[in-house]
Amino acid sequence: MTDDIIIRGKGITKKFGDFTAVDNIDVEVRRGEIFGFLGPNGAGKTTTIRIMTTLIPPTSGEIEIEGHTVKGLDDPVKEKVGIIQQHIALDNDVSVRENIRYHAILHRIPRKEAKERMDRLINMMGLEPYLDRMAINLSGGWKRRVAIVNALIHDPSILVMDEPTAGLDTQSRHMLWKLIRELNSHGTTVFVTTHYMDEAEELCDRIAIIDHGKIIAQGTPEELCRELGSFAVEYVTEGSDKQYRYFHERSEALQFRDSLPEGAQVTTRNTNLEDVFLELTGRENTQAVQEVEYRI
Amino acid sequence: MGILDETFRVAWGDLVYMKGNMIEVLLSSLVGPLLYLLAFGFGVGGNMEDPAAYVKYIIPGIIALTTLSATFSTVSMKILVQRLFYMSFDELLLCPIHISAIILGKLVQGVARALISCTILLVVGWLLSPQVVISPWIFVLIIVASMMFSLLGLLAGMLTNKTQTLTLFSSIVIIPMTFLCGTLFDSSTLPDGISFIIYCLPLTHVSNLMRGLMLPEYSIGLDSIVIVAIYVAVLFSICYYMIKNNKC
Repeated sequence: MTDDIIIRGKGITKKFGDFTAVDNIDVEVRRGEIFGFLGPNGAGKTTTIRIMTTLIPPTSGEIEIEGHTVKGLDDPVKEKVGIIQQHIALDNDVSVRENIRYHAILHRIPRKEAKERMDRLINMMGLEPYLDRMAINLSGGWKRRVAIVNALIHDPSILVMDEPTAGLDTQSRHMLWKLIRELNSHGTTVFVTTHYMDEAEELCDRIAIIDHGKIIAQGTPEELCRELGSFAVEYVTEGSDKQYRYFHERSEALQFRDSLPEGAQVTTRNTNLEDVFLELTGRENTQAVQEVEYRI
Repeated sequence: MGILDETFRVAWGDLVYMKGNMIEVLLSSLVGPLLYLLAFGFGVGGNMEDPAAYVKYIIPGIIALTTLSATFSTVSMKILVQRLFYMSFDELLLCPIHISAIILGKLVQGVARALISCTILLVVGWLLSPQVVISPWIFVLIIVASMMFSLLGLLAGMLTNKTQTLTLFSSIVIIPMTFLCGTLFDSSTLPDGISFIIYCLPLTHVSNLMRGLMLPEYSIGLDSIVIVAIYVAVLFSICYYMIKNNKC
């Protein structure tokens, strides 16, 4: 149903010179879901997010948010979207409080309402002791929390997060997962990119995997695992690196395991998202270097 | 009204920084011009036939160059840092704000610095040379000129990707302008070719207009008004194009 689609990208392509960073992709994010956008470094995740949030124009294709085609940098539809960028973006010359207040001002939130929201979000992120510190003096994890408050201050219906847990310690990651689930339970649609498969498995209702600018798989984590084969055999035989085989039936996996030469180290287990990701994207990562070069 | 409101929303962040660092802001804006006044007005001028006349001559020039020195480096460096190191310029672009308001908002800090510094220099100038005329039009010119040089700073901050490039731009464009554009001496005494280049530079016309407003014996050239207006329009348009087309 059309109303269920809150973000729709149609035929999005982005070229930097003769390098195609994003290649004619279609993305549909349903209202109220947590959508994971996975891919190796340089696969086109951040470029897609920058197009979705109007920071860069696509070479071709269009984005619809809430049924409205996003027209450009000053499109008011951006009011519905909160963005946490991959690189923590704070004004380091002013205090944490002033950073947050600035975002409330930019989003035209009336003073009283802004104060209420600031108090609630600051409390949620445990930022009270740091409010009067200059942003530059915070650690990466605390800066990330400030960036989250900034992204949520205008109460967006869509939260776009570009590798939000990169560089965070385990506690902060879990805190952020909890927050994402909480926001999602209150109706916020979340679009998140990540490198961490455990994170995607833990959080996402549906996933798209992008590689070399193309979407190569889409579905729920369970669907993607099922498609590859729900049963994995991980084995090392003499003189070889670790190898993997996937089977749709348990009996097939067990049969394969038994056929391996004596002395082979074998583990039989359920297929996980990391298996799917590595099988689909491989281990080559030359595109990352190319994309970085073009962006520079 | 919408654009004006958004302009001040954008400017809020920079103004908060200014408020918290007022002494630093004043020192960085005023030390240079006061040194020029001391070195040229009393040092060089002291050896002239009529030192008081020279001091009177350079006061409008120094106020004109303050509209450049108080704005260009601050705005350009701030934008460069916000773009490349803090990434906070992107945050601004992510908000639903008109591009014109982003540009104007980023000029406010420069204009505010120039207004404060030039007002102090006007008072100092008037104390040193009470013959200078002070009128509201001087403040209009300070605002327009500081907007123009802030736009130049914004453009430089968006175009460059290294602090070294910005320093180089200052060395080959800003510093020569500071000395040669009729601020401290009459640029018509320079050789013809150089004189023409100087005529094309914006600070020359700000100096001419400031002198025309402050010293009764000088007139206000219509060509200077037109050239300043063209600079403002062209610089604004280029900044608008760059932001709209993600060229920054």
